[in-house]
Order: sequence, then C-alpha cells, then structure tokens
Amino acid sequence: MGGFATVLLVIGINIVLAVSLTVVNGFTGQFSMGHGGFMAVGGYVAAMIVYYGSLRLWGSANFAGGFLSSASGDGAWLAGGDVLFVVACLAAGLAAAGAGYLVGLPSLRLKGDYLAIVTLGFGEIVRVVLQGTAPQIARSKADVVRETPVWKLATHLGGAQGFNLLPTYATLFWIYFAAVLTLIVVYRLKMSSSGRAFLSIREDEIASQAMGVNVTKYKVRAFVLSSFFAGVAGGLYAMYLGAINATDLGFQRSFEVIIMVVLGGMGSISGATLAAILLSILPEVLRAPPPVWPAGLALLVVMVIIQKVGISFGLTRGPADGIVLNIAISMRSLRRSWKFKPLVIVAGVTMALETARLVCLQQQIDIAQYRMVLYALMLIIMMIVRPEGLFGVREFWDYLPRRRAHSPSGPVAEASA
Amino acid sequence: MTAPAPNSSAAPLLDVSGIAISFGGLKAVQNFSLQLPRGSLQGLIGPNGAGKTTVFNLLTGVYQPQAGSITLDGQALRGLKPHQIAAAGLSRTFQNIRLFGDLSVLDNVRVACHLRGSHSLAGTLLRTPRYVGQERAMTERARELLALFSLADRQDEHACNLPYGDQRRLEIVRAIATEPKILLLDEPAAGMNPQEKKALADLIRTIRDRFGLTILLIEHDMGLVMEICERITVLDYGIIIKNGTPREVQTCPDVIAAYLGGASEMKGTETRR
Ligand SMILES: Nc1ncnc2c1ncn2[C@@H]1O[C@H](COP(=O)(O)OP(=O)(O)OP(=O)(O)O)[C@@H](O)[C@H]1O
Ligand SMILES: [Mg+2]
Repeated sequence: MGGFATVLLVIGINIVLAVSLTVVNGFTGQFSMGHGGFMAVGGYVAAMIVYYGSLRLWGSANFAGGFLSSASGDGAWLAGGDVLFVVACLAAGLAAAGAGYLVGLPSLRLKGDYLAIVTLGFGEIVRVVLQGTAPQIARSKADVVRETPVWKLATHLGGAQGFNLLPTYATLFWIYFAAVLTLIVVYRLKMSSSGRAFLSIREDEIASQAMGVNVTKYKVRAFVLSSFFAGVAGGLYAMYLGAINATDLGFQRSFEVIIMVVLGGMGSISGATLAAILLSILPEVLRAPPPVWPAGLALLVVMVIIQKVGISFGLTRGPADGIVLNIAISMRSLRRSWKFKPLVIVAGVTMALETARLVCLQQQIDIAQYRMVLYALMLIIMMIVRPEGLFGVREFWDYLPRRRAHSPSGPVAEASA
Repeated sequence: MTAPAPNSSAAPLLDVSGIAISFGGLKAVQNFSLQLPRGSLQGLIGPNGAGKTTVFNLLTGVYQPQAGSITLDGQALRGLKPHQIAAAGLSRTFQNIRLFGDLSVLDNVRVACHLRGSHSLAGTLLRTPRYVGQERAMTERARELLALFSLADRQDEHACNLPYGDQRRLEIVRAIATEPKILLLDEPAAGMNPQEKKALADLIRTIRDRFGLTILLIEHDMGLVMEICERITVLDYGIIIKNGTPREVQTCPDVIAAYLGGASEMKGTETRR
C-alpha cells in the first residue's frame, strides 16, 4: 500500500477519534484524557475477536474477507471475514462504551477536573494491564485455541509484544464508512435537543440544571457515546496495522486527539475534522519537509498587493447578522501608508522555518521525532492567538455568507427541515 | 382544595416552612417561611446581603436547606436535585446573568424547552417523525416566547452579544420556557433604564396572567416592587422582619430602620451601587 493511502487511512481513524472526543471535551466541556485508553480497550477486544474468532471458525487466522476489505480487490463483496470484522468493531465499541460508563459514572458526579485525572489514570491502567497479559497463542495452534475457554483466551493478548499478525480488514472503505457514520451521528446529536443540553452544560452547569437538564445523566451519555467511537476506532486501527500494542495507545495518543479537538475549536465538528486531517498529514510533511519559502513569498506578494493596490478583504456583518466576506477595491487604502508589522512577521516566520528546515537537513535531524514538542508549541500559540480554536463552537459553514437574506438560523432550518 | 380562594384557607401553591442554611458561622437564612397562593405576585426585598438570593438557591436546590420543608402543589421539594425541582415546576432567573453565552438566543430558550420533551437517542440519530415533530414544536414555541418579549429578531445572535436589558429579558423567557408553576425572578430590573423598567413591570403582570404563573420577585427598585407586588416579604440578616402589603411594609418602622442601617433609600426609584 502506498504512503498516500496509508495517510488517508490514518486520517480516517483520526477523524473518528477527534470527532468522538468532541462530544465530551467540546460539547459538555468535560476534559477527558483517556481516549487512548478507550481506543486500546476497543482495539484489543476487536483483535481478540478477529484473531481467535478466525482460528476457531476457520482454523486459520488468514485474511478471509471479500472485495470491500481487500486491498487487491477480488472476491465477493462480503465474506465471512468481513462479518467477523464488523462484529468485532461493534463489540469493540460496546466494550469501550462499557468501560466509559464504569469510569464516567463515579467521576462525572464530581466537579471540576477530577474527570481529567481519573481518565488519565484509567488510560495508564489499561496500558499496564494489557502489557501484563499472557503471550498470544500462535496462528498454527488452532486446536489449542478451540480447546481454550473464551475467558482464558482473553488473557492471551500478547503482553509487551503486542497483539500481532492480525488479518487486515480495515480498508479505506470500512474506515471511511466508520468516519462518515461518526460524523453523521455526532452532527445529528449536536443539532438536536440533546445536543443543546450537552452544550448548555459546557456553557453554565448551574443554569443548565436550573433549566431542568439532568447534568449527570447527560455527561455520562456523552462520555459513553464518545468512548463507543473511540473503541470502534481502536478496532479499525488494529485491523489496519495488523497489530496493536498498548504502548502506542498511552497518554501520548490521548494527547494527540485532545490537540485535534482544541485546535479545531471546542465543539466544532468540522473544526475537529479539519484538525484531524492536518495533524495526520503533519508527521508525513515533517518526515521530508518541503521548502517553506515559496509559500512565504507568495503570501508576502499577496499582502503587498492588498496594501498597495487597495483590495481589501474583510469580514463584515451581513444583513441577517451573518458574517459576510467582503472584497472591495477601496480607494482609502490606497492612501494608507505601509503596514510593516504583518509583512515583517510573515517574512520572519518564513525565514525561521526555512532556516530550521535547512539546519535539520544539514544535521540530519529527524523533526518528526519532535512531533510532540511541535504539538505543544501549536497549542501554546493557539491559546494565545485564538483560544476558542479554529472555528470555536461553530461549524465552518456558519462563517460563509448567508444564502437567504432572512433565513431562519441555520441549525433551526436544519432541525425542522 | 380545588377551589382557589385568594388569601384564604385554600392550600398555597408553594409552602415553605422554616428553611435555613448557614455558611460556616454565617447564618445566611434562618427560619424562612412563605406561603404563595396560586396566581399571586409576591415581592422579596431586603438590603444587600440580606439573604434573598440564598433563599432562591435553597428553593431551587442549588443549596440544600439544613432545616425546614418546601412543598410545591403537594410535592415535597427538599432534597431534590435542581433539575428535578425545575421539572416539578419551579423556575428562576439569575441575579448575575447566567445565559448560555455562546449559544444563540433561540437555543437558550430551546434548552429550557428540552425539559418537557422526551429524548431517545435512537429517535435523535434516526430523525424519526416523532423526533422531528417534537423538535419543530419546540422551535415554534421558543419563537413564540421570544416574539412575546420582542426578542424574535435577535434569535440568531449569541446570547452574550445582547444588550444588558435584553439579556435580563432572555433570562425570563428561558425560565418561562420550562413551563413552571412558579417563577422566581432575581433582580430582573437591575441595570435597566426607567423606560425599560416600566416595560418590565407591564411584562411581569402580563406573563403572570397569560401563563397563569405565580411569581416571587426579588428587586431593589422600590418603585417597581411597590407598584406590582401584592404582598412583600422583607428580609434582613437572613431573618424575615416583615410580611405584608406594600403599604404596610412601607410604613413599618423595622423595615425603615433596616434600610437606613443599610444606608439605602426606601422610597422612590432607588439607585444601587
Ligand atoms: N456559597 C456561599 N458561601 C458563603 N457565604 C455565602 C454563600 N452564598 C451567600 N453567602 C453569604 O450569605 C449572605 C446573603 O447573600 P445573598 O447573596 O443571599 O444576599 P442578597 O440578599 O441576595 O444580596 P444582594 O441584594 O446583594 O443580591 C451574604 O453575606 C453572602 O456573603
Ligand atoms: Mg442577591
């Protein structure tokens, strides 16, 4: 499989993760740091079902899928292996949701940041427990697998070596099927009455209660739903890599997803999706960083044109309080003197990035290894420049010009359509 | 029990008896009792820090009373959670405005409509006709309420961008949207100009009649309170010092002393802070 296809797969899985975490961290304003943990629970459950299930059913853990699951593209549309895989992913989601319920119920009753601490602890416990499991039963020992009771199989999860040699069912089709499903579910939720209840909790918990929202119930609901999709994502992840190792699904993984949600805007589905796409591509870009200066130069030229030729772009309030992109050739800006500050900033940033790139090339430093540092920096800059994230709570289309001058508000029209 | 005879033996809609709370050593509210007949409009006044807002917090379950009982229409409220109390029919506004700032004006009201609907996850995700119908009805109702408070043309704005007076009125709309039996208003006129206050007084009477509400009103503007309230309870240092008609309250020496002690004026349109 080519590098491009791999990136697409990673993007799909990250969309599922980021959009599902949006429900907790974005909608209800809770802070969960356990998404990696829920992903691990789901991933291992799916791996176990597919691997041991295949051995029990067919005596072999080889790929047994149809057209939709195969990279080579032959065979029937669906085969037994696919069914097993889909069942495994659903079970993964349910297991993670169950874990989410168990973790969430006690901690969501508490106020403040307890949830962050509890979920952080949960993620680490999951990791340690999984790493302490017994070795995987080899593929050649189908009869041993058949004789071992299911509960005992669940202790043979590969330990520190991870769960390996899984048949890879998670193709672009399945991953994007899951991603689209997640998007639809979370979007419909956000636009619904329950979704508004979630958002009201984030806005003001006391007022939300006073308006009759059962805050604990809704927090747990959000948490369980979010964990479900994290579990599904774990299943997809295991079956795309053909292996899963709890070491890769620790705190760092949770943190990556949190960054996607924060960058996208706490509560914005399109923002989380965009951030998931960008942050999935970023490591690839860092592996072989392309020159920065052409983009920087182009930006400078555009800025000079805007300043000197007098084309102004701006966001203004439209008739129905929508924000309208206004492009006008204004005579006044012709007379305005140079604004050097933005030009200098763009030039400076371009030069700094370019220098960093050249130094890294020269010294053969792999920047991709410093990904986390970069993420942290991005977070810091974001918090200073635009604390509400790219889109805030809104979706990107809320920023586009309104089609009808006096339409009922977007979400309303949506809900009553 | 079914015949509501005002000011007589008929069971009051809200019956509060002897509720109390202290914060550490501070006895914020002591032995607070109150009977609200159905459809009444009662004032709750007192100098700053007298414990008025604390009474609201006790009634709505934000704080748990350390003594006493609260009965709404025969249902005991003490010990219930705030959302259960809202469901029982007690709704409130907040002195320090607590709107859902990043939500639209319409959504602020629709959150409150949520209480009287039923919300299954399956219905929401599959958009069943039942769900769509309920959602539409909810939106319709929210719009009607906003129109009644002339906020309809601001429904798409973020609540935090509304002018102050509109925010106060939106708080009232939101509280009414929960379909309460009793509405608790905590200084609804604070920060409003005289015209707005005048309009508000009319509005409070209108909504009482139109929605058949019983209203308990905290307000520092004596002109407003004396004008619209039928009875007034005066609180000072957490204790009720007077309970009577506006005229009785205005002439009560204890009340005048309490207000003079608090260095506030009793008569006329008072200016706070
Ligand atoms: N949660 C709390 N913890 C400690 N003290 C509190 C708490 N809530 C209220 N108090 C105290 O209780 C007293 C009554 O406060 P409350 O807010 O009820 O006064 P109020 O009558 O509403 O005054 P105002 O007119 O200024 O709104 C005050 O002394 C206040 O400091
Ligand atoms: Mg108060």
